[in-house]
Amino acid sequence: MGVTCVCQVPVTEGKSVQQTVDVLHKKLEQLGAVKQGSFCVDCETYHATGNVTGQPTKLLYVMHNSETPLSCHALFEGGPCLTADGNFDVLMLKLKSHFQNAKAHKVECRGSRYRYCDFLIKVGTVTMSSSGRGISVEVEYCPCVVPGDCWNLMKEFMQTFLGSSVPEWPTVFTSKPEGLYAPADSVDTMNQYLELFNKLRKQPVPGSNVR
Amino acid sequence: MSCTLLKSLVTCPADLTAGLQPCAPRYPHGCSPPHSSAQHRSILTEMEAPPVSVMPVTGGSINMMEYLLQGSVLDQALESLLHRLRGLCDNMEPETFTDHELVYLLKGQQGNPFILRARHSLSHPAAPWHLRYLGQPEVGDKSRHALVRNCLDVSASHSLPDVLNEMGFRMDHEFVANGHVFRRGALKVVVSKLSRVLVPGNTENTERLSLSYLVELSVLAPAGQDTVSEDMRSFAEQLKPLVHLEKIDPSKQRH
Repeated sequence: MGVTCVCQVPVTEGKSVQQTVDVLHKKLEQLGAVKQGSFCVDCETYHATGNVTGQPTKLLYVMHNSETPLSCHALFEGGPCLTADGNFDVLMLKLKSHFQNAKAHKVECRGSRYRYCDFLIKVGTVTMSSSGRGISVEVEYCPCVVPGDCWNLMKEFMQTFLGSSVPEWPTVFTSKPEGLYAPADSVDTMNQYLELFNKLRKQPVPGSNVR
Repeated sequence: MSCTLLKSLVTCPADLTAGLQPCAPRYPHGCSPPHSSAQHRSILTEMEAPPVSVMPVTGGSINMMEYLLQGSVLDQALESLLHRLRGLCDNMEPETFTDHELVYLLKGQQGNPFILRARHSLSHPAAPWHLRYLGQPEVGDKSRHALVRNCLDVSASHSLPDVLNEMGFRMDHEFVANGHVFRRGALKVVVSKLSRVLVPGNTENTERLSLSYLVELSVLAPAGQDTVSEDMRSFAEQLKPLVHLEKIDPSKQRH
């Protein structure tokens, strides 16, 4: 696993979410990328019941990534993050009376996975209660684990198919000292997805051309 | 008391490292990757997509039950017990362990607090933490020989105490356990000395709780397998008179 950047791609004017995704797929295929199956990242929200009134309820996000199918990530926004095995989901079921699952807030990002040389590109449609909310693109440069060393290369690569939608330096990297990205537990990738999902949750549903 | 961290003895449904990919060879930045076919092949295999159809099963997983018998031996009797266990149990390298366990409580609005046990190895600090939930003992057949309770094991990363605190859990007590582990098929025997942690978080400074060793015989099996307690009883018979293992209901303990 290498340095990973997750960003949002705006839906093209006058086109639907699906059409914009198709255009991205075509650009990647023209570049020479090879499709390698599909991926899925999902996020469930739990809020603690029985909180003292006046205190804001802490939200616990439990996320899964098809890249690490046997693991489960539990995150607090801006707080600690846990990587655990699949039984953590069963534990959350047992904690039903203390942590309620906000089922309507479940966010899923599904799409195709492409490989281009040492890059892994995942273009996904983010859906919340089966309505398409936006498009996410995850680019991973596998050989390198230090963000500072390969950011320029990644940005240049993203420009070839994202054009002007290239993202800025991800905020998760700013807190890291010059050193490892810690990809082994994919915490930073999940934090980036969480940021993206929360941003899309607050945005209004895109136009009338929603598939 | 919960089981030890040693993964070979706990039927852990998933390995924390199973979803991880091995590290790709590092290329010096600025250089294009060498076209060595062997290296390229290794990256290609690592970049293969895991099948999306293998998504973790939520809810519907098998309910595991822990069958437990407990007893104790005085320090002076330890060697003879270990000797007997070495004879009766599977032939393997002697396994000693030093674990630090923290017991967390989550007080709800009503009912009993929710208890979780977080355990990590002090002799293998890089190993993952082990989180365990134990349900109420099953009230049923009084003639059943072992204590039976629902058991859920989760492997977790090192941020476990921080996340539990953030979730609202508060540490109730902690202790250090060290001793020996033996195995006989699915049966596990743990002989441990428990020590109190004097200063919270400081596992160097501990004080022994008693002049004896706790002996626990346990089996993790799916619900409904009643022959397990029979096997445990017959094994326990072979350990008499060195140690008397019996069913001790934790809820009946006086505080």
